[in-house]
Amino acid sequence: MEAIDLFGLRELFNRCRILLCFNGPISRSLIEEIGNALRNYLQADQAHPSSAMDVFSVYIELTQNIRHYSTSRNYDELAGSATVVVARDERGFYVVQAGNLVEQEDGELLLAKVGELARLDKTQLKAAYKEQLRKPRSSDAVSGAGLGLIDVARKSAEPLVANLSPASDGRAFFSLRAVI
Amino acid sequence: MKELNIKGTQSTPEISARWDDGVLSMSGDSYPENSFEFFGEVIGWLEEYLQKSEQALHLELRLIYINTSSVKAMMDIFDLCEEAFGRGRAVRVNWYYDPRNERVLDLADEFKEDCSFPFEITEDAQH
Repeated sequence: MEAIDLFGLRELFNRCRILLCFNGPISRSLIEEIGNALRNYLQADQAHPSSAMDVFSVYIELTQNIRHYSTSRNYDELAGSATVVVARDERGFYVVQAGNLVEQEDGELLLAKVGELARLDKTQLKAAYKEQLRKPRSSDAVSGAGLGLIDVARKSAEPLVANLSPASDGRAFFSLRAVI
Repeated sequence: MKELNIKGTQSTPEISARWDDGVLSMSGDSYPENSFEFFGEVIGWLEEYLQKSEQALHLELRLIYINTSSVKAMMDIFDLCEEAFGRGRAVRVNWYYDPRNERVLDLADEFKEDCSFPFEITEDAQH
């Protein structure tokens, strides 16, 4: 096995100002526990209560989306793994990134959806949010990312950035970045 | 009918519903994975109360962070209120919030926009 350079990893975490990161299978209780840790870090970091709530909310929506998606696709624990990073950039903004494996075609739909949202201003996002809120629940089920994704876009200070990287078995790694 | 007493957890609010005085109160955070399931009981209680009783309905809310699927469930609750109000039922909502966190005010405000019954948003004296 390749030796893991723990010191190098630590340096990377520090350099990227990573407050919290996680990689692996997630359960409902793990989402809550990591969420707790995140809230404590944010408090210790003296984040404003509103920003702390926005960061927490983006974290919850993204991780719950990942859980809903992997359940709807019947992924096993490993395929349903989430990669989550919360960092603080040099300007003091919080950056929340989350990613997971998706079917290639779902990934492409998600990229297009994020692209659409990125073009909307705050007023248009609010209108899109209210419209989605009125849609039947089943319309959220396809990608597992309806209302939650719009909510994340509304909370992000910059347009959302999404990436799709090829993985094995016709799947791809989809990742999303929000800035608060 | 019955009272509803649901203890709060880390991710679900404390809920109590009293048939005799028509008060439904909810407080705390709400971010269960399946909000539809969690709020089912509350919505059931509300539907029955609005159908079988003729008394006023008073919602007392101290909700803080709620995820988008809980927002959807709350919208269903407010839709029931709106419908009842439209039929002449006395309905009112009081939402109390901690002024240090304006996100809660934003959240309550957005619900209020779509409601025509009395909906008051007040700084909580407890803080």
